[in-house]
Amino acid sequence: MTYAYLFKYIIIGDTGVGKSCLLLQFTDKRFQPVHDLTIGVEFGARMVNIDGKQIKLQIWDTAGQESFRSITRSYYRGAAGALLVYDITRRETFNHLTSWLEDARQHSSSNMVIMLIGNKSDLESRRDVKREEGEAFAREHGLIFMETSAKTACNVEEAFINTAKEIYRKIQQGLFDVHNEANGIKIGPQQSIATSAGPGACPRNSRDTGSDSGCC
Amino acid sequence: MGSSGLAGERRTQARRGCTWCRNQRGLTSDLWPQVTRFGEVANTVTMGVAASSPALELPDLLLLAGPTKENGCQELLGLFPLQFVELFVHDESRQQLKVKFCTGRAFYLQLRAPAETRHLEFGQWVRLLYRLRYHAGQGAVPFTQEESEDEGWDEETIEDPETKEGETLLPTQLQAREARLDPQTSELWGL
Repeated sequence: MTYAYLFKYIIIGDTGVGKSCLLLQFTDKRFQPVHDLTIGVEFGARMVNIDGKQIKLQIWDTAGQESFRSITRSYYRGAAGALLVYDITRRETFNHLTSWLEDARQHSSSNMVIMLIGNKSDLESRRDVKREEGEAFAREHGLIFMETSAKTACNVEEAFINTAKEIYRKIQQGLFDVHNEANGIKIGPQQSIATSAGPGACPRNSRDTGSDSGCC
Repeated sequence: MGSSGLAGERRTQARRGCTWCRNQRGLTSDLWPQVTRFGEVANTVTMGVAASSPALELPDLLLLAGPTKENGCQELLGLFPLQFVELFVHDESRQQLKVKFCTGRAFYLQLRAPAETRHLEFGQWVRLLYRLRYHAGQGAVPFTQEESEDEGWDEETIEDPETKEGETLLPTQLQAREARLDPQTSELWGL
């Protein structure tokens, strides 16, 4: 299937916060209570529709365990979006956000959109991090924030799609050079034929996008 | 984990021409059905190795791809630093390898290749395994001969007795992860 853009995402955060489960819920719409520990990176992809455009999300699900941390850092490069995940029932995963954020800022494009996710919202009785704390952290660091449950699928779609919307908004504003793949954005096969303009340029001659392109 | 798949869940036989990494420079790839103890094909993956830097003499990454549900074309499932993976020759006569992750998770793959080139291709993998193990200082014999380590087959769940409980990792189970990335457009970048 063709697409207008491809966005590279990474999912980061402490081990056991539910990164792989979020990906599985988003791509396969199912929940797996026991999941293998991720080593290296595992991939997922899904097409979403943003503003009438087909956008393919290429998602890199990384290892959260400390022993893989140095390897994980090498995967940040060229990501347009990051889902920074903590577990609302484990305070320490929230406390480690600053360290993850430092890594993300240091090893990725300054324009990368970061969505902070408090996962496991279905476990309200075991909550250890208040929603307001997550909101405050996000506000302080310029992140988008959502609480999700990979188990019930609550807000999972929204988390991935809202990140894509923000990236798309930045493209329209010309903040992303879509011709530089180091920014984690790739123009779809048809669009790349049609476009020859500079940063932020939009595809013009695609059957996906038709004539409703809003930014050209 | 994406590389494996539950037995019988996917029996798609990917065609060689669809192999995503055929044209990637410096990559060795082949089709490897995951096999059960009864010799049945549980799943088919494409396995390849690559070096993350041209300065490296040996590959340092293992890549696994599998067929998509939609069109059966190969998509990348995972990228695993070889420092966390061990490859063994499990059964030379049947061209079977064992892939074992540091988490204890393991699975068995049997090379699929035309009869006339199968031995040659498997021999290339064996030579690669020798080099990787020699380089890693693990000795030069990449054969499992699993008298003590594994007692024969266990294609679904393999717990590494050397992995202490609570140390790194949990007992593992082969999990299906449906195929993801479109190989035709070479979308993997950023390494």
